Amino acid sequence: MRKFLFLLSILFLSICFLANPCFAKKTIKIGLMCPLTGAYASEGQDMQQIVELLADELNAKNGINGTKVEIVVADDGSDAKTSAMAAQKLITKDVIAVIGTYGSSNTEVTQNIYDESKIIQVATGSTAVRLTEKGLKYFFRTSPRDDSQGLVAFQTIQKSGAKRIAVLHDNSSYAKGLADETVEHLKHAGMNIVFNDALTPKENDYTVTLTKIKSQKPDLVFFTGYYGEAGLLLKQKKEMGWNVPFIGGDATNNLDLIKIAGKKAVQGFQCTSPLLPTDLTDEKAKMFMTNYKTKFKSDPSSIWSVLAGDAFKVIVKALEATNSTNSDVLADYLHNKLKDFPGLTGKISFNAKGDRIGDVYRVYKVDHGNFILQ
Amino acid sequence: MELFFQQLTNGLTIGSIYALIALGYTMVYGVMKLINFAHGDLFTIGAYLGLTLLTALEITKQFGTFIGLITLAAMVCILVAVIGVLLEKIAYQPLRKAPRLSAVVSALGASIFLQNAVMLIYGARVRVYPQNILPSYTLNILELHIPIVRVLIFATSLLLMIVLYLFIQKTKTGVAIRAVSIDHIASKLMGINVNKIIMIVFIIGPALGGSAGLMVGLYYGQVNFIMGWSYGLKAFIAAILGGIGNIPGAMLGGLSLGIIEALGAAYFSIAWKDAIAFFVLIIILIFKPTGILGERVAEKI
Repeated sequence: MRKFLFLLSILFLSICFLANPCFAKKTIKIGLMCPLTGAYASEGQDMQQIVELLADELNAKNGINGTKVEIVVADDGSDAKTSAMAAQKLITKDVIAVIGTYGSSNTEVTQNIYDESKIIQVATGSTAVRLTEKGLKYFFRTSPRDDSQGLVAFQTIQKSGAKRIAVLHDNSSYAKGLADETVEHLKHAGMNIVFNDALTPKENDYTVTLTKIKSQKPDLVFFTGYYGEAGLLLKQKKEMGWNVPFIGGDATNNLDLIKIAGKKAVQGFQCTSPLLPTDLTDEKAKMFMTNYKTKFKSDPSSIWSVLAGDAFKVIVKALEATNSTNSDVLADYLHNKLKDFPGLTGKISFNAKGDRIGDVYRVYKVDHGNFILQ
Repeated sequence: MELFFQQLTNGLTIGSIYALIALGYTMVYGVMKLINFAHGDLFTIGAYLGLTLLTALEITKQFGTFIGLITLAAMVCILVAVIGVLLEKIAYQPLRKAPRLSAVVSALGASIFLQNAVMLIYGARVRVYPQNILPSYTLNILELHIPIVRVLIFATSLLLMIVLYLFIQKTKTGVAIRAVSIDHIASKLMGINVNKIIMIVFIIGPALGGSAGLMVGLYYGQVNFIMGWSYGLKAFIAAILGGIGNIPGAMLGGLSLGIIEALGAAYFSIAWKDAIAFFVLIIILIFKPTGILGERVAEKI
């Protein structure tokens, strides 16, 4: 019996040693927090595919100065509660830095969790202005901000010559933020805002909303919500026989929009957006997109997942250049030393707040079922 | 006034879908005193199965639009009914004698399971029905624009509800269902096979939910794996509004909820649409706790 117990304890100890990371082969762990389930699951699944493909390519080429990278994925469930848990999970997994996440409200709940643990966070789809106004030292984002988009949206609306403007959002922090920014500009220019209200996302029937907007007789409707609702709005607007032009924000730049609305209904629809994955000009980016397509049989459905790839690239660059895993060193490098780094979506530099420097917004117009850069 | 009638027709279409789904909640509640939270997901499954059958078998091309759609609807109803019966056998029957809360938890679990199963099978991206299956003709009556498909959705839902009502009121099985909903043990003593009746309820409810899913998919064109949640919630509320356990109540509740939502949005605020609908619900329940047509005091769930 004692012999048996002795053997058992040896076995137990050896398992402990094997399981201990100190004795395993050392890797650099980078967390990826993204919505794998819930409303934004499709974005999150693309994010995961892009980041893991980039990590595989990096590891095939000797990793970061000889050390392999390991991606630790946590599902943020497209909601705030799950996001907070995902952040806690990643911290306990000893990640050096975290990529993500997509929705602004979900990123917001995790910001302080990472900050307290001194972990670099590079958000990818979170454009709400206030995220970088808190003075958090370890927070960065590869996505642009709503205020820069609000300006471009305003200019597009102004250029269209419309006088009576209807603004529609969906009450999410992102959509409301963009609507507020744009309305501010419109009011300043003395334009007539005849409608400003929110719809309920994830419904299928928006005829009630459209009928109400129509009764205000706008020349143009600006919708700041997501592509699912935008597609249905366009489709049902066409059915009503109403020909008002629609402009969307950067959450409508998704190829699924055209599938939902149908080519006819979406003709002439404009949206503000960073460059789409298919319009990336950089040679390396093009090559990566081709690799992605061969592996996963389709293009990423929007630019936001590609921005997760950029977040991965800047983190790797910082780790490589500093040869350190100290968050203060990394943060300093990203804030001050990283200049015009060639990312997938163009050149990347960060300002003191952690925002990406540069003008990334373009205007797209849909013609015969394709998003055409204007 | 034109605006009022336009919004009224909008509300009626939305409401008729709520009503169809609400029937599933109310029938299951009637016989088992259980809120079948997975019902919304059966609706989603109906929408997805319709998409699969439509694209894989090209039914509408083989049989023509009209017969094709009827065949499609029949196939979807049968398949969703099979899933409904399986759901009952796996998730609810073992808990028949357990405390009621256990069954509610089981229902919530089944809902999460089905929702994620749909996501894993079909993927998280929005799926789109083939276009141009339904006629896109729009009726223009006195400056009202009513797409013909909306009229068809309303008519089909109404037809299904009337058939169900007659089935429950006039047939022997219908009488048995009503008897079981009043008292399981007494029904058993009268020689009614309670298990069989519960199975029939789990055939009819999911079949109606599945057909609602198919209609939503065909008309709105867009299906996603979480659509069952919002429709399910609204339909559940419609069932309570009309008096849960009461079949005409579910129809009335669904239609009223659709109209309240539409008119609330039209004359107050779109963003407050749901708040207004819930406010009306609370007012109705304060004055009539059993719902509009509810007779018996609903027991606690």
